[in-house]
Amino acid sequence: MSWLRWAAVRVARLVAALLISSFVIFSAASLAPGSPLAALSNGRTLPPEQQAQLRERFHLDDPFLLRYVKWLGNAVRGDFGISIASRDEVSRLISGRIWITGQLVLYASLLILVVGIGLGLLAGIRRGAADSSVLVVTALLAAVPAFVAATLLTILFVTELGWFPALGEGDGLGGRIEHLTLPAIALAMSSIAIVARVTRAAVRDEFGREHVQTAESRGIPRRQLIRRHVVRNAAVPITTVSGLTVASLFALSAIVERAFSLNGLGSYLVKAAGTKDIAVVQGISMVIVVAFVVVNLLVDVCYLILDPRIRTSGSAR
Amino acid sequence: MRTSHRLAFASAALLLVTACGGGDDEPAEGDATATADTASADSATGGASEEPTATGGATATAGEGDGGLGSLGLATSTPAGTQPVDSITWALYRDVNNLDPVFAFDYPENTTIALLCEQPLRQAPDGTIVPGLADVTSPDDTTYVITIKDGVTFWNGDPVTADDVAFSLGRNMDPAIPGFYGAQYANVASIDVTDERTVTVTMKSPDYFFRGVLASSSAWIVQKSFVEAAGADFGNPTGRTMCSGSYQLGDWSIGSPLQVTVNENYWDASVKPLVASIEFVGAPDPIALSAAIQAGDIDGYYAFASIPTLNELRNDPNVTVTDGAGYQFDALLIAPREGSPLADVRVRQALSKAIDRQGYIDTVLAGAAQIPKSWAAPGTWGYARDVFQAGYDALPALDQDLDAAKALVAEAGAEGGTFTIGLIGEVPPLVAEGALFQKAAEDIGLTAEIKTYPADQYISLFIDPAARADVDAWFTVAYGDFADPGSVLGQGLLPGGSLNYLPYDDPEVTELLGQARATADDAARAELIVQAQALAMADMPMIPVALPNNTLITSSELTGAVPSFSMMYAPWANQLGGV
Repeated sequence: MSWLRWAAVRVARLVAALLISSFVIFSAASLAPGSPLAALSNGRTLPPEQQAQLRERFHLDDPFLLRYVKWLGNAVRGDFGISIASRDEVSRLISGRIWITGQLVLYASLLILVVGIGLGLLAGIRRGAADSSVLVVTALLAAVPAFVAATLLTILFVTELGWFPALGEGDGLGGRIEHLTLPAIALAMSSIAIVARVTRAAVRDEFGREHVQTAESRGIPRRQLIRRHVVRNAAVPITTVSGLTVASLFALSAIVERAFSLNGLGSYLVKAAGTKDIAVVQGISMVIVVAFVVVNLLVDVCYLILDPRIRTSGSAR
Repeated sequence: MRTSHRLAFASAALLLVTACGGGDDEPAEGDATATADTASADSATGGASEEPTATGGATATAGEGDGGLGSLGLATSTPAGTQPVDSITWALYRDVNNLDPVFAFDYPENTTIALLCEQPLRQAPDGTIVPGLADVTSPDDTTYVITIKDGVTFWNGDPVTADDVAFSLGRNMDPAIPGFYGAQYANVASIDVTDERTVTVTMKSPDYFFRGVLASSSAWIVQKSFVEAAGADFGNPTGRTMCSGSYQLGDWSIGSPLQVTVNENYWDASVKPLVASIEFVGAPDPIALSAAIQAGDIDGYYAFASIPTLNELRNDPNVTVTDGAGYQFDALLIAPREGSPLADVRVRQALSKAIDRQGYIDTVLAGAAQIPKSWAAPGTWGYARDVFQAGYDALPALDQDLDAAKALVAEAGAEGGTFTIGLIGEVPPLVAEGALFQKAAEDIGLTAEIKTYPADQYISLFIDPAARADVDAWFTVAYGDFADPGSVLGQGLLPGGSLNYLPYDDPEVTELLGQARATADDAARAELIVQAQALAMADMPMIPVALPNNTLITSSELTGAVPSFSMMYAPWANQLGGV
């Protein structure tokens, strides 16, 4: 019963978040300085009569709110309009690129979850050399921004060692994994460090809790202690930070996709923003917001599984 | 980041000039002399003329036989390939947006459409204009008669008809589209189908400029019935395209590389491309691109200005770098605001004398450019080359001379003056170019302030007068749509010209260029253009900074690609093949 209410609240929040962000995205893209005519003309000088035709054709002179409502109405049905630069439907342009971004984010997420949580648990549970090494490594990883990581990885593994291809998406599953490995590592690097550190801190925190110490003093086997009392309770903060970092990968992917010439949504967003291809910018931004919201919803569902109190009380954390 | 600041003008000028109606009234000076060697070029002497340059004969196919461009030692051809190759991967700075020719206005689109589609006329690798899928005659000053050659067919086997030609040209004038090249057709009175194979274009006034247009981006011929059937999707991966070139469109879907394959039924049986399939991939990051070239993942790339790793690639034995003849120029455009010191011709002259062009070329452009004497690059001498060479040689060298520059500033009483330059903050070469001018201004007692823009707003400087309220000058890398100095100069000199922001309006220059446009004889027309150029360069309506080479980078196992800028408009892979 109460979890139904919980679900209803979540869905209502989700819809509200999407509505608000759609408005922000639409107005930011529309009201930003710079004329969309620049994109229409690709920087050429245009005679006034031609400018007028273009304005009319792309409804640039309609009132702002009217344009927003029209856009939203179409967007709900999956129609994000026409790309000026490509003369093609934005929905097609997005769906043609969404998989590569999705796969890259998935690959990077797996790295973050497996390596990040793994390192964090290792450092949290075992003290001494393992802990210090993890601390040093994560400090280094956290300090390397994705674009630097991309360049360093390219120089080391492509130019010097020749282990991986420098750019492109690759064919077939094997080729795809080969091509996405370096980008996924570049994308995951600093997030791995964050997740590892938060995991370590959460685990340490639980070890310090009274009930854990009591359990320990009662002689419960360490393995069981860690599994049932420490990790189980540390799971909530770990899920929170993992969810947040994974959700942010959709936006961060832009940098990595450009560096490795991947034809994903992120690099396309950068390209479209640079040429003021507004419909594309709005469409991709909306997709990224949706992805962000959906990942957060998944995180909420994880809470539901991890923390029985939510199921019984219906209260959010 | 080329697009954002290249922003050029390919066509928009109003009064331009071009090759003459006759077609071969150039003195055929010797033929095919030494092909300029790869990786030789450079050392921008700009001045000293060497041998008279060879004008390639009127051969329709690209490649062998054209000489290099004399004074600058830049290549217009590479040795033809000899071995068949199954498939290669060619890089573009981004993936292809659309294949509709009326929107083809950037390197990726031009590079691909040039392989797929053909115009009535064609730009040979040395810039001369030769027959394409048609022969074109001018029975009088205002008439062009386009006669389609025998047996010319689209990829699907349908003949190319006069209807298709008239339709394709006319699309540029259709306000409902509206394409990027309308201005090139501003002087066209009518386009009529005379019979099944003949189209007659009537000009409003005598216009020898239009011949070049018929070999440029605005004259690629597409099949009328195909375009109509594809509707709004024409040119995108759903609607695709239908042309007559020696390569046809292969696999292409959104987010995937664009592939072209040899058209086995090409109408000109003498053309037999050796590379069966070319895959075009977008590579926006120069470091990754360079690594991919060195690793052999990318077989070829045209670097239209330069890439930071160029010298590393020159030294790689597995990579061949060819410095091809360019049409492009890199310049500071000037639109002085009220009270700006740049409104004074002497200050512009002084600034031009104060900048260290060679330093900029060596450091920022990796040496892959020449010091200009005019913004009409030697690569644009598509006819009467001896006349243009002599005119260019006679222009003063734009060497750094700080004393003379200071004297000019003093004479103008402009010491302490301040002006503002706009640039894109995230494009490092532009930032360096801004710094070049800042240093120069400081050296001669002026102050140059820099205003940075995001790429999308920078574009507005070119088209929106209101956007120019905060700057007196900004940069462009621009080019003409065909090899004609008259066209390139007209953009910056004629009232209404697409790069004339000063605005420059000199009755004598306007008169000379107007006369040139109406002059049938190539040499006579070139003389008029050279006179206009000499007058204009003294006034520095814009400040040319460099003439970028058209740098062709390929695997050393490949040869035969056209290295000159004509590859933007004409087939460049017909002789490409294995070494």
